[in-house]
Amino acid sequence: MEFSQKLILIAPEILLFCGAVVVAVLGLSNSRGIRRAVPFVTALFLAGAVVGTVYVYRNEDALQASGLLFPRLGLFIKCLIGVAGIGLVALGTGTIDRTFENAVAAGRARFDPLRVIRGEYHAFFLLSIVGVMLICNATDLIWLFLALELSSLPTYVMVALSRSSRRASESAIKYFFLGAMSAGLFLYGFALLYGATGTLGFLEMRDVLTTMHQSPEGLPAIAILGMTLALLGIGFKIAAVPMHFYAPDVYEGAANHMTGFLSIVPKVAGMIAIIMLCGTFGWAEHVTFSPEGTEMIQEGLPAPVTAVLWMVAVLTMTLGNIGALLQTSIKRIAAYSGISHSGYMLIGVIAGTENGIDAVLFYLVAYAIGTLALFGVLSGLSRAGHEVESLEDLAGLWRRRPRMAAALALAAGSFVGLPPLLGFWGKLFIFIAGVESGHIVLVTIAAVNSAISAWYYLHIAGVPIVKMTTPRSEALTPQPNGSPRVVACVAGLALLIVPIFSRNIYTFARSSMRYGELTLPVEDATALVDPDTKKTPGPEEDPPEED
Amino acid sequence: MLSSLGTNLMATLVSAIPVVGDDAAHQVQTIPESIVPATRPTDLGWAGLILLLPALSAVLCGLFAAFRVKNRLPGWATVLALGGSFVMVCLLYAHHDPNQPVVIHLFDWIDFSWAEGGTFESVRANFALYVDNLTIFWMLFVTGLGTLIALYATEYMDEDRGKGYARFFGGMSIFLLAMSCLVMGDNLVLLYLGWEGVGLASYLLIGYYYKKPSAVDASKKAFIMNRVGDLGLAIAIWLTWMNFGTLEYNGIFQAVDQYLPQAADGTLATATMGAAPLGWSAHLIPWFLLVGAIGKSAQLPLFTWLPDAMEGPTPVSALIHAATMVTAGIYLIARTYPLFWLDKMSGGGALVAVAWVGGLTALVSATIAMKQYDMKRVLAYSTISQLGYMFLGLGVVQTYGACFHTFTHAFFKALLFLCSGTIMHGLAGQLDLRKISGLRKAKGWGVTTWTMFIGAMWLSAFPFTSGFFSKDAILAQAFVQDGYGYRFLGWLGIITAGLTAYYTFRVWFRVFGGKELRIEPGPEHQGDPSTFHPHPPGWRCKSVLIILAIGCFLAISWGGEEGFGASHWIYGMLAHSSGAWGLPLHWHAGDPTLFGFDPHASMYYVSGTFGVVGLLIAFYFHLYNRKAANNLENLLNRSFATRWLPRALERKWYVDEIYNALFRLPTWLLARVLYLFDRIIIDGVFVGGVARIPITLGRVFQPLQSGILQGYAATMAGGVTLIVAWVVWVWLSKAGG
Repeated sequence: MEFSQKLILIAPEILLFCGAVVVAVLGLSNSRGIRRAVPFVTALFLAGAVVGTVYVYRNEDALQASGLLFPRLGLFIKCLIGVAGIGLVALGTGTIDRTFENAVAAGRARFDPLRVIRGEYHAFFLLSIVGVMLICNATDLIWLFLALELSSLPTYVMVALSRSSRRASESAIKYFFLGAMSAGLFLYGFALLYGATGTLGFLEMRDVLTTMHQSPEGLPAIAILGMTLALLGIGFKIAAVPMHFYAPDVYEGAANHMTGFLSIVPKVAGMIAIIMLCGTFGWAEHVTFSPEGTEMIQEGLPAPVTAVLWMVAVLTMTLGNIGALLQTSIKRIAAYSGISHSGYMLIGVIAGTENGIDAVLFYLVAYAIGTLALFGVLSGLSRAGHEVESLEDLAGLWRRRPRMAAALALAAGSFVGLPPLLGFWGKLFIFIAGVESGHIVLVTIAAVNSAISAWYYLHIAGVPIVKMTTPRSEALTPQPNGSPRVVACVAGLALLIVPIFSRNIYTFARSSMRYGELTLPVEDATALVDPDTKKTPGPEEDPPEED
Repeated sequence: MLSSLGTNLMATLVSAIPVVGDDAAHQVQTIPESIVPATRPTDLGWAGLILLLPALSAVLCGLFAAFRVKNRLPGWATVLALGGSFVMVCLLYAHHDPNQPVVIHLFDWIDFSWAEGGTFESVRANFALYVDNLTIFWMLFVTGLGTLIALYATEYMDEDRGKGYARFFGGMSIFLLAMSCLVMGDNLVLLYLGWEGVGLASYLLIGYYYKKPSAVDASKKAFIMNRVGDLGLAIAIWLTWMNFGTLEYNGIFQAVDQYLPQAADGTLATATMGAAPLGWSAHLIPWFLLVGAIGKSAQLPLFTWLPDAMEGPTPVSALIHAATMVTAGIYLIARTYPLFWLDKMSGGGALVAVAWVGGLTALVSATIAMKQYDMKRVLAYSTISQLGYMFLGLGVVQTYGACFHTFTHAFFKALLFLCSGTIMHGLAGQLDLRKISGLRKAKGWGVTTWTMFIGAMWLSAFPFTSGFFSKDAILAQAFVQDGYGYRFLGWLGIITAGLTAYYTFRVWFRVFGGKELRIEPGPEHQGDPSTFHPHPPGWRCKSVLIILAIGCFLAISWGGEEGFGASHWIYGMLAHSSGAWGLPLHWHAGDPTLFGFDPHASMYYVSGTFGVVGLLIAFYFHLYNRKAANNLENLLNRSFATRWLPRALERKWYVDEIYNALFRLPTWLLARVLYLFDRIIIDGVFVGGVARIPITLGRVFQPLQSGILQGYAATMAGGVTLIVAWVVWVWLSKAGG
């Protein structure tokens, strides 16, 4: 593959990288106006990256030659993460450095470039997003590892920077060490895989593994161990059991907007990495030919990998939900609920490519919008200068801030999967994929878990509406910066409106899962029924979110 | 003359009964002409604008409200959008080949398919429009009247300019959007979406004056009573898929077409003709559809919400609760007529039920209308009664009459409501018949007086008005069609026609008649009543009234009988659509007769006579000799045997009280019991005990969540070790051995 073509494909990432530098420099300016513009510049770069992505992915030649496992996957993920990134920037606007900036504005402190962190924070923000985007372009394990680490390393710093509290530093330290441990784990897995197959590239590894799988001896033990360790290690990013323990503590320690970031960005990164790894392990070549020459559908993932994922999925959703039942801190509830959502998404991964991954991609959209709405509300409000922490803080919110309470209710409803909302479609697609691939038990467990989760989600929706204002919740005031509340409202509305276009997003997700060879995708049966009205969505279609 | 009519009535009543037993059996059913399968043209995508424009104006109204626009901008934006929508419908009408239904695909929505994706292998409800003559017919008057009434409302709602103004027009736009979705959708799910949407819009607009408790109660009542019907519709949709494997009209019609010969043979449940035998549940579909239609169209027994819905602003009453939304039930039955037909062919009685519901509703609500004093309530009961006629028309296999009546009714009832709206507006909220008299003498009220006179003439089916023709088409068919008690229902319809003329002109004579102007101002007037002057309607209201009155006249020629200079435009608008299955198969064949003449000709004389007599009675009691009305009432009150009658009529046959006792009270009691159950059992035992299980489980794991870094690392590593050990144990030891 030509180096120049490789560069073309990562042009948006290069743009964002330049953005990181620009933002870091702008943040040091001694003009207050320029420092205030930093989030906007960040958002502009993100928007530019999204537009660039759409443009770049029209370059069929580069895609043909890219040697990627899923050449079009990047389009969906980069648009998703870019748009969600804009929302996340808006969540944090004005929060970083607020005390210091206020002091400077009031003349109580002198401006000191060594003390401002807004520029660094946003530079790290962009770097982390670059990492996620680069995962989609990974052609081999080394690239995947580097991209994963690029997306993770900045977040360790960001957690510490997000608020000036000892707890933030504490959780940053925890996050860093445990993250390093997980990196070691999946790196070990990668090494074992290299040892088993003798290659690092995904395409070659897939061929080697397929051959091994079909040979009488089956997969060697070292390959299976490698797969297990790699998946478990990356499980850290999506907070899957047993690598989930950090999540509640880290989420609670970070500032609210940072918690929103942690619930979306590493999860998307981890999910994509898992999808790419599983594509390498099994179902990428799901249609093969038997020795007699007849077409046969391959089983999918190797049985041990399916078993491990199955177990992890069940444990993740169950422990996540049970954990959330106990909590009163809304951030810990969000952490545990995020864990359980990872469990649901793993069902799609287990189901495989037929419908499963499309469902996972769709679920990521629904999850991201719901999370933006939830954390938009949480970071848009403050209680006497402190962050909203417990559920009780929100009592009676409906009477004073009806829009915030409505956004919260919509987010909670979407997370439960109430029918008209986006989350319902996400769960529906996931469950259908699970049933179709024959994992009835798994889907049943997930459905039971969904029902359990209604308990705490209904609390999130109900406490602001039903409960009377308490002296504690009376102290709740809006943040001086309105942009998180705008994000909450827009995301809440999106949860209502986007379902109308759920089919289009699903088709978009489907089209992004084409395989290495860029032939026409296997369309579903609808194409046969009405060929003239069927249209594949153009590449300009964004996952509809706010910006 | 009256006695001869009486004997005639008795004779017909008696003769109605044997018709039931043997006549129905010997009549050979003709299988109607099949519905042409829809094509999918790609060049009609612009038809989506019909839905998009109201959606746009709804969004605009929301923005206007957000930016606190104080002028008439929301109103004009809505008028323009709805007018644009109407123009698009006209264009569609011009482009549309009347013999060929089309499906216009807008975008994919719900689309699950498996295996081949055919019937029973998919659940498909895409955003697509099913356009045939019936669709266009309905959309023409929905969007046309919507535009006119929105124009009227720009003036009517003037005092609420600001947030309320935007809210009102936002509601109107949402209503038009939902109604278009209901009428134009190509599948039952879109219809359901629109069905709920118009319910929502109706709820929002009835409760427009949300500070008035009665308005809030009325909106809740409408919403809750409609839920009953909606449940029926939902069940019908589910059963449709279970039996026909598709939700798209095109698929349903083709499937029904296949089954019809078997239905005629009586082998529906056994024979297979490339398709599965139809189960017993298929016979329930039309019944549940009927339940849905009853709820939305305010028929017996779910009619009590509609009179209360008059709490909304008058343009809303005119558009939603008279002309368009309440006809959704008629549309539903006309659209799914093949399903009813299938039921009829296989010996089911769903159409008979439709006819009975309609006939009884028509009579009951007409009797109630006779004794109401609130002008809008009289009109509301009259709407219910007229909707009853339409149901009767559908039930006696006369979709032409039903749709014709829907059309004419939309014009004259909207006209009547808008007239009463100008009165309410000009008289500070006064609507009581007893407190207004001689309004025609007031300055500036000429247009209202005479357009309302036209509306009243049309409603009371005065000979040679369009209401006269449309009603007669239905009634004549009731006498010649075989079915359980159809003749009886026909007589009920004729009596109702007399009552209709009476109560309609009771209003007109009371309000506009009288020697001198005498008005008590309504509750909105502050200050001395003697200084009150009614303020007449402005140019927008007047022009809308005049246009509607002209429309009433035009409707005669659009739908009237041949021989009165008409070309059956409405008949043509039903041909080749699903409603065409209910068109009389032998138009003007003349073989069935009524009283020895062509049934329509006979009916002109009979129902015309009843109407004129009703009108004359109203003239006598309410204009010529108003004291006589009081005397009559005193006379009835004097005798114990008759005292109940005026009271029962005024109290609307105590239906609300009965429902209160039958449903509200038990529900309330049940709620109390459940509340106690909740407090004692759930909160006490369950939360105290069973719900502890997951919480206890959580506590078991909580020590792991100690917050100490080393502990986390150890637990994670331990977890990974366990899983790896398990993999090695289960999978690798086998592979190794």
